[in-house]
Amino acid sequence: MSDDDATLTLFAHGTLDPADRAVLDALARLVDAVDPVPDGLVDRIGVALTIEALEAEVAALHLTGEPALALRADETSIEAGTITFTTDVLTVMISVHAEADRVRVDGWAAPADVIEVELHQGGDVTTTVSDADGRFSFVDVERGPARLVMRRPSDPTVPVVTPQIEL
Amino acid sequence: MMSDDLVEPVDTALRDQGESLVDQAAHAVEAYRAGEREPLAALVHVMTPLLWHTVRAQGVDQEHAQDIVQNVWLTLVRDIDQIRDPRATLQWMLVTAKRAAWRAVRRTRDEALRQDADEHATDWLTTPVDELPDSLAVRSERDKVLWEHVRALPDRCRRLLGLVALVERPDYAVVSQALGMPVGSIGPTRGRCLAKLRTSLAADPTWSLS
Repeated sequence: MSDDDATLTLFAHGTLDPADRAVLDALARLVDAVDPVPDGLVDRIGVALTIEALEAEVAALHLTGEPALALRADETSIEAGTITFTTDVLTVMISVHAEADRVRVDGWAAPADVIEVELHQGGDVTTTVSDADGRFSFVDVERGPARLVMRRPSDPTVPVVTPQIEL
Repeated sequence: MMSDDLVEPVDTALRDQGESLVDQAAHAVEAYRAGEREPLAALVHVMTPLLWHTVRAQGVDQEHAQDIVQNVWLTLVRDIDQIRDPRATLQWMLVTAKRAAWRAVRRTRDEALRQDADEHATDWLTTPVDELPDSLAVRSERDKVLWEHVRALPDRCRRLLGLVALVERPDYAVVSQALGMPVGSIGPTRGRCLAKLRTSLAADPTWSLS
């Protein structure tokens, strides 16, 4: 064992001292500066976990009818996919129309009431309110996976969440 | 658990908070099961950087790394009732992140072979880097010196130190174990990796701590 090795071994078995901690702290700052956690990642995870928790808590909406929503990528017509979800408390029908490379989402919730509707896409949330008949729409929506979260005035603390759908 | 939580008065004094990540994660899991979600939300803030760098250290690109980290959290809450020992949560998450990262890297390599793509430019914890990253150009002279010494370390050492630097001392053993580093390489004692770095810094006249 060379002198260097002997010193190293001795060092390695010493306890962590303030100078070690200082080196590690400096290294931690360096790691963070070289490759920072992307902006918004922590927030997006928070939103994803919230939705996940809502889904677990609420009787999630079940799909009824044929899952015709997944539009083909090469589809340029105004072909709409229509899909219906239902729970004990709410039924919602959603149709999706292609508009250029984006989509328009029209929905109708029953029983008829003014409900708050949120469209979640990744970390982005768009909110709208239905009319008194329960009709709502989102225009100029980006394609991709999405979920709707609906809050009813009759029971605002229990939102209703759809499974993830492909717009 | 390892016995390295024991004694060492200097370290205990250095710890900012009494709660290690192991404790905080265990508490968050238990609270979540009891219907209280705030502790887990707080854990997301504290632990996401560690997961991020764990995944990145395996050589995963930025975009995939974000998906992987988010998925680790979603998997945790989906399987939260299956966790038998909440104190194993931190380790479980690190191992899950690392394995998902490996799979992603393997897929990317397969694709890269087909597409003849470039090597990742940013996986600095895994591959030796010849040039100073842009983000370091504006850092202090001291950081640049530290960087030089860190990148001269063996691969495994660089990776291990880069990650344990992000946690408090009681969590070192868990992090190194989850990364497949021999326990004790930085555990109860300061470990050869850190000793190596200290030795090389000490021999450098341009390095000073203050």
